[in-house]
Amino acid sequence: MSYIFLDIRSDPMLKISHLSKSFGKIQAVDDVSLEVKEGEIFGFLGPNGAGKTTTISMIAGLLNPDSGTIQIDSMNIRNSPQEIRGILGVVPQDMAFYEELTAKENLRFWGQLQGMSSRELDQKILYYLDKIGLKGRENEPLKKYSGGMKRRINLIIGLIHSPRLLLLDEPTIGIDVQTKINILDLIREASNKKTTTVYTTHNLLEAEELCDRIAIMDKGKILALGTLEELIQIVGEKDIALIQGKFSADQAQQILSQEKGIDVINMKDGYMAISLDASKKVPGLMENFFNMGVSVNDISLKQPNLESVFLKLTGKELRE
Amino acid sequence: MKRILLLIGKDFKRKWKNPVVILGFLLIPLLFTFLFGFIFGSSQEDVLLTVKVFSVDLDDSLVSRLYLSSLTQGELKDMIQIQAVSSEGEARSLLDKGKASALIVIPSEFGEKVWGGESAEITLIKNPSEQFLPQIAEEITKTTSLVFSAILQIFSEEIDRIKELSEQKDVSNQTISDLSIMVKNRMEGIEKYVFPPVISIKQVTQEKDVEVEEVGYPIHSYILPAISIMFILFICNIVFEDMLREKEKGTLLRMTISPLQISEFIWSKILTSALIGILCTLFLVGLGTVLFSIDWGRPGILLIIILTLNILIAGLIAFLYTFIQTERQAGALMSSVIVVMALLGGSMIPISNFPPFVQKISRFTVNYWGLEAFKKNILRDPVSQIWMIVLGMLVMGLLLSVASSFLLKKKLKKGLYR
Repeated sequence: MSYIFLDIRSDPMLKISHLSKSFGKIQAVDDVSLEVKEGEIFGFLGPNGAGKTTTISMIAGLLNPDSGTIQIDSMNIRNSPQEIRGILGVVPQDMAFYEELTAKENLRFWGQLQGMSSRELDQKILYYLDKIGLKGRENEPLKKYSGGMKRRINLIIGLIHSPRLLLLDEPTIGIDVQTKINILDLIREASNKKTTTVYTTHNLLEAEELCDRIAIMDKGKILALGTLEELIQIVGEKDIALIQGKFSADQAQQILSQEKGIDVINMKDGYMAISLDASKKVPGLMENFFNMGVSVNDISLKQPNLESVFLKLTGKELRE
Repeated sequence: MKRILLLIGKDFKRKWKNPVVILGFLLIPLLFTFLFGFIFGSSQEDVLLTVKVFSVDLDDSLVSRLYLSSLTQGELKDMIQIQAVSSEGEARSLLDKGKASALIVIPSEFGEKVWGGESAEITLIKNPSEQFLPQIAEEITKTTSLVFSAILQIFSEEIDRIKELSEQKDVSNQTISDLSIMVKNRMEGIEKYVFPPVISIKQVTQEKDVEVEEVGYPIHSYILPAISIMFILFICNIVFEDMLREKEKGTLLRMTISPLQISEFIWSKILTSALIGILCTLFLVGLGTVLFSIDWGRPGILLIIILTLNILIAGLIAFLYTFIQTERQAGALMSSVIVVMALLGGSMIPISNFPPFVQKISRFTVNYWGLEAFKKNILRDPVSQIWMIVLGMLVMGLLLSVASSFLLKKKLKKGLYR
């Protein structure tokens, strides 16, 4: 496995150095270091249990790290927790608001909690409700809203006070395409207004589409970090082939040894993930399978993209 | 403080928009008070309960009519009301519909048997859906039958003579005169044993300023505060259940990543609980005054009792929540704790009915101290006695609140981010 750490500009909004956290024998976060600059949309991509949420909860000050430091806007989170909370915004996975209250009452409450004035709040509420297409329904209790509408309100609550650092924990889980587009647009707009966004997801397309830079995490470690283009360079020009059939790992190894220029990503009985130049190597490979008397049930090819990068780095597919 | 007020305002708004549970908890004490007052009567009123009884007289003789009229003689007429019904079937049907507490059926030949000195039977059918009133009807019927039998036995000679005369065609004036003298002599003979009656029913209205032990004061004045304390505990419990719900739902998480301190959140819940408790108690006190004419005693002291009692309740519930992890646990555990406290503390049964060792345990319940304070104010006991209780409730409430704010802080932080 190769690590790619990229140099970025000085004075980052978020700086994490050698962050580690364990729960009993489980190493949830293992020596994570990264920097996120102001206005950047930074994505943590990884499967469940990769350590994304633990990392984000340490950034939010909800968990104390075992070791390492976190600096937000040049302030150490241990020394200035109160000041840091004043510049943070958070959008959790849960619909964290009050369903009995109206959209307007909810936004007003959360804004006031952040110390916003009534006048400023009124303007922002009108602006955002218009932006997410809920103008005219602001006086309805949220329990009457659809799931997508609630997701949008959940996001606006995190944005209403214009936080300098916005933490989003899988904010688009289980929503329709239109709402997803709406939410991603709002995040981009916040980024344009210098809000730094740290975003966790296990949706590859979303990460590709939204994030300026992405950290691929698994088992508490950052496996790679960079822009989409930089990450794709990890797999180079090669395609990824996933082959399933009735063969043992030994047989597969024997077949692959007959062809050069194929890298094994993952292999077990009945399954192999390999990196290769598909147009040149697949016909020969299939012939070898045939000659060995091994049947292949399924073969799928992936062009170099974030998914193939993830597959190459972790040896497994990332599914929603 | 500004943020705590903001949180309290938010919680009040939420409760205002979803008031069903609280209103339900407020109605129950009023309903209980009404029902208990209705069943046992209010000692503020001079009226005893009237028992309605149907009668079916299949005999329709002089004796049966005499018997039925004897049931409503003298002071009994205030206690029992007899309504004649033509047939037993109709009477039973009406009884099933709850139109009366009992039914008396006098069989045919009742009069003949009584005249003949034979034993005669009267049937009393009690309404099974009522508990106390049919018992009263039974006791009155038994007593009247006993007295009626005694009279028949005492005047047996005279009755025999009347029977003989009734069979003769011509009765002389001298014979009637002799019979009258005979009855008069018999009456004079038994008068000294019968009059004045040894036992009579007397109704007394309790003077307000007289000290009375335990439930000696008007029943509404005991029932309403007793049941109210129990349901105020349930109402305050809702606020703290909501605290766990906020943790489950993620709103608490969101708050902790704002400038809000988690201790501010806990204090907002304690204060919301106390304030809602105070408002609900005032509501019940107000309605108690209007609906049941309860005299709560000195208003200033009453307000202080309500204030300190609710501080104690809020502190106690907050403290109990330091032992609870989830909303489900809260639902099961808190209901049991509140009911047991109500039982031991006198909210369900006056503690004077308990054995001494249970009465000592009662002192560890908020219900006991709340009831003591209300009772002493209603009876206008010396203020010094009430101050001690009020001060105790205040100090205990504040201590429990402070302890809870520390203990809950750690508990709420744990597992906040899943």
